[in-house]
Amino acid sequence: MIDYLLERARGKVDGADALWRREEQTGVAFESGRLKAAGVSEEAGLNLRVLSNGRMGVAGTTAAKPDSAELIARARASAELGEKVELSFPTADAKSLPPIPTFFDRTANASLDDLIRMGRLLVERLSRPDCQVNVAVEREVQDTAVGNSAGARGEYRATGIAVTADITRIAGDDVLMVFDQYVGADMPTDADLELLVRSVETRLTAALKIVTPPDGALPVVFTPAGLAAVVLPLEQALSGKTVLQGSSPLAGKVGRQMFDQRLSIVDDPLMPGRPVSRPVDDECVASRCNALVEQGRVGQFIYDLETAARAKTESTGNGRRGIFGKPHIGYTNIVFRMADGGRHGATLSTTDLGGGLIADIQDGLIVDDLIGVGQGNVISGAFSHPVGLAYRVEHGEITGRVKDAAVAGNAYDLLKKIGGFGNDGRWLGARWSPSMLLEGVSVARR
Amino acid sequence: MKDRLAAAIKQSRADYTEIRVERTWSSAVAFRGRRLETATVSEDQGGFVRVLNKGCGWGIASFTSLEELPRMVARAKELSRAVRLDEPISLADAAPQTADAVLELDGDVRGIALSEKKKLLDRYNSAMLAVSDKIVDTQSSYRDEVSEVWYVNSEGTSLYQLRPEVVLSGTAIGRQDGTIEKGLESIGLRKGWNSVQNFEPQFRAVAERAVALLDAPRVRGAAYPVILDNELAGVFIHEAFGHLSEADFVYENPQAREMMTLGRRFGKPALNVGDNGAATGLRGTLPYDDEGTPTQDTPLIKEGILVGRLHSRETAAKLGERPTGNARAISFRHAPIVRMTNTYIAPGKKGVGFNDLIGDIKLGVYACGAFGGQTMLENFSFTAAYGHMIRDGKVAELVKDVVLAGNLFQTLDRIDTIAGDFMWNQMGGGCGKGGQFPLPVTEGAPHVRIEEALIGGDV
Repeated sequence: MIDYLLERARGKVDGADALWRREEQTGVAFESGRLKAAGVSEEAGLNLRVLSNGRMGVAGTTAAKPDSAELIARARASAELGEKVELSFPTADAKSLPPIPTFFDRTANASLDDLIRMGRLLVERLSRPDCQVNVAVEREVQDTAVGNSAGARGEYRATGIAVTADITRIAGDDVLMVFDQYVGADMPTDADLELLVRSVETRLTAALKIVTPPDGALPVVFTPAGLAAVVLPLEQALSGKTVLQGSSPLAGKVGRQMFDQRLSIVDDPLMPGRPVSRPVDDECVASRCNALVEQGRVGQFIYDLETAARAKTESTGNGRRGIFGKPHIGYTNIVFRMADGGRHGATLSTTDLGGGLIADIQDGLIVDDLIGVGQGNVISGAFSHPVGLAYRVEHGEITGRVKDAAVAGNAYDLLKKIGGFGNDGRWLGARWSPSMLLEGVSVARR
Repeated sequence: MKDRLAAAIKQSRADYTEIRVERTWSSAVAFRGRRLETATVSEDQGGFVRVLNKGCGWGIASFTSLEELPRMVARAKELSRAVRLDEPISLADAAPQTADAVLELDGDVRGIALSEKKKLLDRYNSAMLAVSDKIVDTQSSYRDEVSEVWYVNSEGTSLYQLRPEVVLSGTAIGRQDGTIEKGLESIGLRKGWNSVQNFEPQFRAVAERAVALLDAPRVRGAAYPVILDNELAGVFIHEAFGHLSEADFVYENPQAREMMTLGRRFGKPALNVGDNGAATGLRGTLPYDDEGTPTQDTPLIKEGILVGRLHSRETAAKLGERPTGNARAISFRHAPIVRMTNTYIAPGKKGVGFNDLIGDIKLGVYACGAFGGQTMLENFSFTAAYGHMIRDGKVAELVKDVVLAGNLFQTLDRIDTIAGDFMWNQMGGGCGKGGQFPLPVTEGAPHVRIEEALIGGDV
C-alpha cells in the first residue's frame, strides 16, 4: 500500500511520506461483577504527507479501498495553503532499525474465553460486600507500515493488552473509587494479576477510615499514579514544539541544573514488552532512547521531523501521527531512572502505600489521585487540585483517607529538592516511576 | 443506505440488532503562533453493530470497511452468545421511529473553500498576537464537520440524521520572564459557517487576560463565599451533578441507587436543574440519540428535590423508568452510553442580578470562565480561567489559579442565590467518559452564589 501510494505520488510532488495502520481490538467488559458485553473493532487507515513547491500538506482516509489519486490531490490542496518548510526525509534502511520485540504470540492468540477467564478471576478476587467491581480486558493487534520518497521503509506488528479493574464503594453519602490497570505488550502473568489485586486491595483497605485532612505547607508522598500532576508540566516543557514557540520554561536551559540531582528521566521507545515501544517512529526515523533529564540537568528536548527542521536540529524519533492530522511530537515510554541503577519491575513486596517514604513524616499526605489534572495553566508548572484519593500520614503511619482537601504547588519549585524516591517503582500506562516525597506542598481544607 | 442496513438486519438472527453507519465530512485549520500548522479536508466513515440474544449480553462490532457489514453482524451475534447472563438485559419499550432529521446547516461548511477558513482563523489568531509582545505563543484551531448518521434497528426504527458542527478555539500564551499564563476562548455550535464570523473581540479579550494574569497573584487556598459566572456555573452543574444523574452509575448499584433516591433533597428550593437534548441549535442538541430515542427536556432537580435522571433504554428498563434520549456515542467506533446533552441551571427570579449576589460578601471570590472540570462523583474539581477577589461587596483584584474543590452533598446545598441572567455557554471542547472524548455538550446557567466553597492554593 505504502509503496504503491508513494510510487503514484512520484512526479506529482517534491517528496512524500506515508503511514498505514491497521488495528484489531477485542474486549470484554464486566459491569458490577457481571460479564455484560464482548466486542471487536477493526480499523484501517492511511495518512499521506506531501511536500509540494516547498510547502507541506496532509491528507488521510479510512476508506476500505483508498483512492490514491484522490488522496494525493487532497494532500496537494492542503499543501497549497501550507507553510514552507525544508523537510528532509530520513533514508534509513529497514534492516538497520533496532530489533525490539513488539509482537507477542500469546497476546495475539488469546481467545475470547481466555480474556473472559482473566476478567472473571479478577472479579472474584476483588468482590466484597458493598463494593461494585468493574473489570475490562482489551487486547489489540496493530500492523504499522511507514515509508517515504527517500526510500526509507519501516514495518512492524505490535500487540497490547490492558486489564483494568475499578472498585466503587458507596457507604451512605461517601463515594470511594479505587482504580488500577495492567498494561503490557505481553499477557499478564499470574503474578502481574496478583499485583493488580493487591494494589487495589491495599489502597481500598487503607481508605475505609475517613480522617480530617491536615492543612499548611506539608510533606507529601506522590504515588506513581499521583505524580501525574507533577510530571505533566515537564512533559510539555520538554517538547521541542513548546521550546520552538518560546513558551517552554526550560528553553535555553539544556545542561542547566533545574532539578534535584538525583532526578533522571528518559523517553525510551526500545523497552521490551511495552505496548508503545517500536523500532521506528511514525515518520520513518529509527527509534532511540533520549535522556530528558540527567541528574537534575535538562537533557534533550524531543522532536519530530518538522519541528526539528524549524529548530535546525534533528528528529529524536518522536514523530507520531494519526490517520487524519499531520505528524506531531509524542512521547513513548517515560522512565524515571534511579540513582542506584534502577529496578524496572515491581515485586509483590512493593504494594505498601508510600513506597517506604512515610516513616519520618510527622504530619503529611500520600496523594494517589488528584481531580482535574491537566486543566489548569500546566506549562507554568503550577497545579492546584482537589484530592481524588489521598491518605493522611501522622507520626510515620497512615491514619486514614482524607476528603475535601486540595493540594497545590509548582512542579519546578517542588522538584528542586526531592525528599526521597520510593521502593515501589512501577509502570502506569506508559510511565515508569517510583513514589516521590516532595516537601512544602500546600494543602488546603474546608 | 437505509435499505442496505435493513437488509443486513433481516439477515441477523439475533433477538435484537441495531446498526449505525456514519459518514463524516470535516475540515480543519490550525495555527501555532504566526505559523499555519495544517489545513486539511477529511472524510471518515464506518459502522457499528450491536446485538442481544436471550440470556446473553451485548455483542458489539465496529469497523471502517462497510463491505464487511454482513460479516460484522454475524460476528456481533457470536460475541453476544459468548456472554452468558443469568439476569437478562432488557430494553425499555420505545415506539419505532422513522424520520429524516436534517439539522439546520446555517451556511453549509462543505461549500466554503479551505482558504476562506484559513483566512477566518488567521484573523482571530492575529487578533490575539496583536494584543502585546508578551503574547509569545498561540494555538488556534478551526474545525467543522457535517456528519451523516444512519440508524436502523430490528424493532422497526429507521433514521437518517444530518448533524453539523463547528468549533473554534484559541489559546493565548503570555510570558514575562519566568511567568507563563494563558487565556482560552472556545466556541462550539451545532451550526455552520455563518455562525462563526464575528469573534475578534472574544479572541482579543483572552489574550488581554493572559497578559493581565502575568501580574496577578495566585489565589490563597481557603474556604470562601464564591460567585460563579455563567460559564463556570455551567461547568459546575455538569461536573457536580450532571454525571451523578446518568443512570448507568446507579442502575446496577443498590447503594448508589439509595444515595440517589428520587425525592431526596439536594439543594435549596431556588435550585432547578435539567438536561435538554431537544433545545434548538446547541452543541449537545440531537433530534434522536444513538439508540433512536427522541431527545427531550428532562427535569433533574425541581425546587431542590431530585426528580429525574438520564437514561439509555437499558438503564430505563432496569429502573422501571422511561428512556430520555441520552444514549450517545462519540462515533461509530463506540457503543452508546448514558451521556448529558445540554445541561442547565434554570434562571432564578427575574430581576435578581449580579449586585444582589455580591452585595453582602465581605471577603470572597468571583470565579470566571472555565478551563475544565472533572468529577469523581462525590468530589469534583472545576477550574476557573481566572478570578477576582470580592472585598466589601465589590469586585476587587484579579487572581489566578482558581480551582474549586466541590462536594456533591455540600456544595449544591450551599447555593443560596441564583440570578436571573441565564446564558448558554456554547463552548468547544467536550465531555469525556468511558474512553469517549470529546462528546459535544453544552451547559447553561445564570450567575450563582455558593455560601462557602473550598479553593486550593498556598495557605
